[in-house]
Amino acid sequence: MGFDLAFALSCAPIILGAVGTTLFVAFVSCVGAASIGFLFEMVRRMCGVAGAMSGFAIDFIRSTPVLIWLYFLYFVLPFYGIRLGSMTVGVMGLSLYYSGYLAEVFKAGIDAIPKGQPEAARALSLGRRDTVFYVIAPQMMRNIAAPLGNYFVSILKATPYLAVLAVPEMLGRAFDIASETYRYAEPLVVAGLIFLALALVISYGVKRLERRLLAGGTR
Amino acid sequence: MHAQSDPIVGIQGLHKWFGALHVLNAIDLTVASGTRVVVCGPSGSGKSTLIRCINGLESYQEGALRLAGTTLGLDARGTAAARRQTGMVFQSFNLFPHLTVLSNCTLALRRVAGKSRSEAEDIAMAHLERVRIPEKARSYPGQLSGGQQQRVAIARALCLNPRIMLFDEPTSALDPEMIKEVLDVMVALARDGMTMVCVTHEMGFAREVADQVGFMDGGSILDRAPARAFFRTSGHPRSPLSLETILKH
Repeated sequence: MGFDLAFALSCAPIILGAVGTTLFVAFVSCVGAASIGFLFEMVRRMCGVAGAMSGFAIDFIRSTPVLIWLYFLYFVLPFYGIRLGSMTVGVMGLSLYYSGYLAEVFKAGIDAIPKGQPEAARALSLGRRDTVFYVIAPQMMRNIAAPLGNYFVSILKATPYLAVLAVPEMLGRAFDIASETYRYAEPLVVAGLIFLALALVISYGVKRLERRLLAGGTR
Repeated sequence: MHAQSDPIVGIQGLHKWFGALHVLNAIDLTVASGTRVVVCGPSGSGKSTLIRCINGLESYQEGALRLAGTTLGLDARGTAAARRQTGMVFQSFNLFPHLTVLSNCTLALRRVAGKSRSEAEDIAMAHLERVRIPEKARSYPGQLSGGQQQRVAIARALCLNPRIMLFDEPTSALDPEMIKEVLDVMVALARDGMTMVCVTHEMGFAREVADQVGFMDGGSILDRAPARAFFRTSGHPRSPLSLETILKH
């Protein structure tokens, strides 16, 4: 069975119809993963029990498969009375899973800031929160724009996992077509090409952002 | 009032250890308002640690350190309030590289002193003029020379209107031709009556502005004298030798 270009083109609008869902899930998961990851890293930097627990959570999350997280949230939580929609579970699962990785990225970005920076902030009597917000976070962003962008692309490419929860994203749509027509090549290639295009656009955006963040030289 | 006659910095029997290393050993030092103290000594002698203790960047284990009427290290809020009376200038400038010169100066004014943007910018510009660099207000630190960056750092520290300025080897990271522009600013500051504690090897500067000069080695102040006497004769066998080397160099 050869590759039928006309059939592929007819698949395209159907699969593209799910691009909104894919992008929405990816975007919310990126924001969620970055927020949770940053929080994890900030707590890990505190000494004492909270810091140790946060460090353990980061390692725990990174050492377990994302599919287990998704299935666990989807199938096990309802036994405890927590019933969530498949989209919510999907976003939560991806956010939690990638928060562990992003915490590591944030750590590298913060470790690269010279220790004179927080010291200068302290000497100027800036509070903890102001120091994080005005001194640490912006410099961290300059250091990690590239790896952060890579993880955002990874999150986008992880959205097909949500097909197992019947979230109507692009891979799910492609499977729907395949199961109706018994043709796999065309819908899968189309879905793959759309992901490729989206990833390229994001990478380009990240590169531009990085250049803007580095305006004015490094130090 | 009593607070007025109280010296701005009063240090008695200060000890500090980094693990087994005894970095500060029985330090006594009093800085009266409106006076300048210069601390010199070989590297590793504890002089940077001492000046960092004065504004609470470093803690200490024994003795007492009073800053602006508050004993540091008792409670975090008191220490923070006393630190607000200080301005600090670092060897490596430590300007915020992602902010313009002007924003470097206005950040604490806006977030700590609660000034509006325009108020903060007026104050910052006045201090940038004082260090003779107002034309660089919109530049980023990375676009400035070392001497210019250090002058901005001085302006930034002055913005919160400190009662005492602490300088931790402010010219040690500078190329020789840039040292003078920074020292000129510091001398002008001293002439304006600013209380200063300065860790430096610039003996010309010490001779010009210092009221007291202290020589540190091995965590102790070995020798201390009013500046004039210090440069004429120095009591400790280690210090004249070091000074001679420093002065020749």
